[in-house]
Amino acid sequence: MRENDIKQAPAQAAAAQGGRRDFFKQAAAGMGGAAMILAFGREGAVWLAGRPAKAQEVPVESGYDITRHDYLYLIDINKCIGCGSCVRACKAENDVPPLHFRTWVERYLVSRTGETYIDSPHGGLESFPPVDTGMDITKAFFVPKLCNHCTHTPCVQLCPVGASYRTRDGVVLVDEKRCIGCGYCVQACPYGSRFIHPVTHTATKCTLCYHRITKGLLPMCVQACPTGTRMFGDRKRPGDPVVEMVATMQVRRLKPELLTEPNCYYLGMGQEVR
Amino acid sequence: MEHSKHIWRVFILLAVGVVFVVSGRHFLVPASFGKMGHFRFDSIGEYMAKPVMHGNDASCRKCHQDKYDAHEMGKHAAVRCENCHGPLALHVANGEKSADAQVVRSWELCAWCHQPLQARPKDFPQVDFREHLISEDIPVKGTIPPKICFMCHDPHDPLQE
Repeated sequence: MRENDIKQAPAQAAAAQGGRRDFFKQAAAGMGGAAMILAFGREGAVWLAGRPAKAQEVPVESGYDITRHDYLYLIDINKCIGCGSCVRACKAENDVPPLHFRTWVERYLVSRTGETYIDSPHGGLESFPPVDTGMDITKAFFVPKLCNHCTHTPCVQLCPVGASYRTRDGVVLVDEKRCIGCGYCVQACPYGSRFIHPVTHTATKCTLCYHRITKGLLPMCVQACPTGTRMFGDRKRPGDPVVEMVATMQVRRLKPELLTEPNCYYLGMGQEVR
Repeated sequence: MEHSKHIWRVFILLAVGVVFVVSGRHFLVPASFGKMGHFRFDSIGEYMAKPVMHGNDASCRKCHQDKYDAHEMGKHAAVRCENCHGPLALHVANGEKSADAQVVRSWELCAWCHQPLQARPKDFPQVDFREHLISEDIPVKGTIPPKICFMCHDPHDPLQE
């Protein structure tokens, strides 16, 4: 062993002489590689997680082109009568389990001094009973709520198994076969839109009636609304009236400070609404 | 070169690792994962394939033209048939009637929309049921009988005389 060490020693010495130059060469190559990883890191991560394909080339069954839609939702607070038709229709359309809601209606009663009473008995499923708050109520209104289908989704970001995702047409969905029911997304959603299904034990939520909108139908809550409170639009449809309303009227979104960029807009919503 | 063994060991370990990761991915990652992002693309198709439960008023018209006409002319034209009668898919299957549609005959059905509530828009018609019954000379003792509204009002066209 020792003999070999001695034999190799001159070679190592030679390497040490040119070593600094080689070191810098290698370092430059390494940095180039790091830059490549930074540049292609996302693609690389996608490759590691699944097969790459160009999105435009992905055909979607039944002639629906996912790249040609970008949905948005508008709720006119002034029109809502709190009848609960939307909640009942959503439940019937999507087989939502009892005591859970994909959409619900909240009642806000605001007094002159700014006290706020908020309730939502059974999500407004059977409308609202008269209530005596003992407050001098100066402002009262209903606020229908549902998944805001945020552009920057806190719920999708933290899904550990890639079960939560946002489609290219702007709908946040949960892959029920992949979801492990950890409930992180339920806690992450600042709007309380998600719940764990009591039978499947997976996260579930409003899908904007994806099975309907991809066939050109309206989400069931929009179709069922008798007063036109709920409106559904598509940014990529030329001359869409709902897009026009959002563009020209005073609309607000829930919790804008969280930078989630919701695609659900509210018309005539006061600052009491949380 | 006796120590080249070490290098080969590293290469073999690396090769085993690569085979392990690639085959593991093959079995663990679903086929359509990553097609359009970090999710299983086929899940979109599964959502699209879910059954549509509700039709619309035109679906109801095919068999109930008379009710459709009365409803269309009345004050309740904006209320969809299925709001009160339940989803079409529970009533019709393959173009044939499969079960009776729900018919709710209770004043609570009316109250869902017309019970006076502070949060309702002021211009929306709201009726205090007890006062309304008194003003119409219909004596009510205790609880309101369920079907009382339907004695005078046809829910399809409620203000028809």
